Amino acid sequence: MKIVVTLDVNGEPRQALADGRDTLLQLVRDQLGLTGTKEGCSNGNCGACTVLLDGEPVCACLVLAAEAQGAHVTTIEGVAVGNALHPVQAALIKFGGTQCGFCTPGVVLSAVALLDRVAVPSDADIRYAIAGNICRCTGYGKIVEAIQAVATSRQEASR
Amino acid sequence: MTSIREISEPSLQVVGRRIPRVDAGERVTGRAIYCADLMRPGMITGHIKRSPHAHARILAIDTSKAAALKGVLAVVTAQDFPVVAPGTIIPFGETGADAWVSALTVIARDRVLWRGHAVAAVAATDPYIAAKAVDLIEVSYEVLPALMDIETATAPDAAVMFPEHKPKGFDAANPAPRNVGGRTLIERGDTAAALATAAVIAEVHTITDTAHQGYIEPQACVAEAEATGFVTIWASTQGAFQAEIQTAVLLGLPQSQLKVIPLETGGAFGGKITVHVEPIAARLAQKCGRPVKIVTSREETFAGGSGPAAAARIAMKIAADATGKLTAIDGRYVLDSGGIPGTPTTLLMQASAAPYQCANLRLDGWEIVTNKPRTEAYRGPGGIQAAFALEQAMDEIALKLDLDPLELRRRNAAVTGSMMPIGTPFPTIAFTAIADRIAAHPCWREPLAAGHLPRGRGLAFGYWRGTSMTSAAHVTIAGDGRPMVTMGAVDISGTRTAMAQVAAEEFGLGVADVHVAMGDTKSVGYSDAAAGSRVGRTMAAAVSYACKDALDQLRARAAQRLQCPLSELAYAGGVFRAGAATISLFDLMRATLTEGAIVGRGVSTKLPLGVETAAHVCDVEVDPETGQVTILRYTAFQDVGRALNPPAVEGQIEGSVSQGIGWALTEGFDYAADGRLRNASMLDYRMPTALDLPTINCVLIETPVPDVPYGVRGVAEVPIVPVAACVGNAIRRAIGVRMTHMPMTPERIVMALRAAATEPVPARA
Repeated sequence: MKIVVTLDVNGEPRQALADGRDTLLQLVRDQLGLTGTKEGCSNGNCGACTVLLDGEPVCACLVLAAEAQGAHVTTIEGVAVGNALHPVQAALIKFGGTQCGFCTPGVVLSAVALLDRVAVPSDADIRYAIAGNICRCTGYGKIVEAIQAVATSRQEASR
Repeated sequence: MTSIREISEPSLQVVGRRIPRVDAGERVTGRAIYCADLMRPGMITGHIKRSPHAHARILAIDTSKAAALKGVLAVVTAQDFPVVAPGTIIPFGETGADAWVSALTVIARDRVLWRGHAVAAVAATDPYIAAKAVDLIEVSYEVLPALMDIETATAPDAAVMFPEHKPKGFDAANPAPRNVGGRTLIERGDTAAALATAAVIAEVHTITDTAHQGYIEPQACVAEAEATGFVTIWASTQGAFQAEIQTAVLLGLPQSQLKVIPLETGGAFGGKITVHVEPIAARLAQKCGRPVKIVTSREETFAGGSGPAAAARIAMKIAADATGKLTAIDGRYVLDSGGIPGTPTTLLMQASAAPYQCANLRLDGWEIVTNKPRTEAYRGPGGIQAAFALEQAMDEIALKLDLDPLELRRRNAAVTGSMMPIGTPFPTIAFTAIADRIAAHPCWREPLAAGHLPRGRGLAFGYWRGTSMTSAAHVTIAGDGRPMVTMGAVDISGTRTAMAQVAAEEFGLGVADVHVAMGDTKSVGYSDAAAGSRVGRTMAAAVSYACKDALDQLRARAAQRLQCPLSELAYAGGVFRAGAATISLFDLMRATLTEGAIVGRGVSTKLPLGVETAAHVCDVEVDPETGQVTILRYTAFQDVGRALNPPAVEGQIEGSVSQGIGWALTEGFDYAADGRLRNASMLDYRMPTALDLPTINCVLIETPVPDVPYGVRGVAEVPIVPVAACVGNAIRRAIGVRMTHMPMTPERIVMALRAAATEPVPARA
């Protein structure tokens, strides 16, 4: 059974024909061509497919495409504004927080969601926020350092 | 994180500087393209049918119902591939590789060797049809007894999996037990006599469960066949040329009819050298004339046979005199190869003895065939298992002699010129320098503060032999004078960035002025896979040679333009100079572009050995009630030769330690007696999350390798080697129990504590 899904993706109105069995992950990757969202496990364990669904980080592989009807979805392609990187992206580059890069889009979305929710997160907040994103390359240190740097610069800016 | 470097080289402008990865922007924005992301016009989906049995004879495969399903465009079984005989040696490094192993790994012919072994595949217009078609393929099996562990496989009445296989290390007078893949013996001196007269002996018997490399990107490829017969494969691979050669042999296709284009690799760690899906996708594409994409599921990746690392049983006995001087190392190593023989044991054996000078060695390595997925390389293959045995035995010697564990190791450490286990002298080796750094470092000097739970500090040394193999690069010069580097090797670890630094250094330019790309197998010279921490050092050499070659060609043109003899021409920072006359690379290329291309070529092969050495220190806290281990502090010391880009080197070390901690504490495959993998998901196969790991501190020590451009040493294998032993030694010091089964799960720790409660061992601070 095919269904028409109408939703807002990265601020753009989109419409796609999805199979009733398709997940939001398949919708954004295969129907909308937004391949920055990665598939690592298809059962919500690795976090590589993290997107924001109405502002909340979710594993896109655990959401049916049909459930995203009318939703606002942010994928990694919508995090930077044009070529202007989000501070989390810039910090991950600066601190070496991306290696193979496969988990990186999910990590970015988890971090962006955290920083949207908590103005100045602690180290524990950061580690908790990205605990659902498995990274096999970095050991997380440089990722945590990068997100901390964004938090610190925010704190300094607010003084 | 915190990094301290020993040496800086003032003459280098770009090499050794801390710079971000040149390709990081693509990664943080989701624009980096991996195989699963690639779309080709008319592309369809491939899906693999897998065995439900661990060991069975295939009696018949009926694909007619699958082929008749609307939307199915091609079906393949082993009958669609030529038979590849054992001993079909194809190029790979210094030793070559047996394509028979690849063929058997990719698709089962008459027998399935593990549960999840591929038996057939389909290509269909959508993934749902492909999945349905796979279900419609009917395979009749004669189920055979599953040999799920070393004991069962080597029992006198075990079914013999490869009756025709002649394991090396045996003869008619000394026949091999059943299902032995091979045996290697390294002997020196008189180990038995040394053991008989030793002041102290430590004996540790370890078990290491099968673990997985755990790359987040599953196996993936896209294959496309042209009407001419030419096949193109986009691959997630550690070696484009390895993928090409294996696929060509498995398809019976001339190598000139096949091109492999490597895309970004979402983690590999040794598991993406052997092909798994490429030949299947290519054959499907040839049969239906449409591009075919195959992406394996996580369950297929874990359980289907894409290369876990070998389980191992090691009996390690070491002897010392009363001063702690080692007199004998006696190791027996039994590796579980999984379903196909051929797991190398020698690197593991060397790693289990090389850190120390010892006159008497007996290292006896066996590999056994079982009905588990064929094992493949995983980051310093065998090293972590080796150190888990050796370094815990060293800790026992220290305890028995009441010696400081660092002092014990320093007294015995291998030094430059001392004998390697294989009988040749060590080139420069830095264990003594590393020991000095540890002694002076707060992680060792500062006492471990008491907590409300038992705490302990562990130390372990690690050794990895390193390798060279072959790398090639070429450098062309763009019309604006900028160098364009094409590498033959795949970048799985930041190689493009490091090579941009090398090329910039060679040309006296900035990193932004050079461009580095991965080549495909028809655009650049043969390079071996990115494996064994070899690419950084051999590619740095190849790029250096290629840049020098290009500069020589440019110099000839510049001399002509400036009308001076070559001997009067100087070059620096992008400008040729002869007296007062100058010409920039930009102007030179503008003036001479139509004279033809500048192509600098560089090949490096058989570079001098650069051994990798490391030592790790960690503090742990153990909850005796739950068996939970918390790592409080972790510091990794390593001789990195020369760090081309220090944050990239730290990244390799931090990632290695993370993987090592995972295997040390939580990662192990759990096989049922029928061969089913009970934890084939990332939930149940528990890899470390950000909540599980401490900050990992790196101390980089730089001892350049002589006679190697930039003195580069491999850096990414050895940092996993000491981890489990380091954690195990810390646990022993915390709770007085020697943990010998890896992973050291909470359950195993609680059980060990209960067992020890009947025979208490005093804990030491």
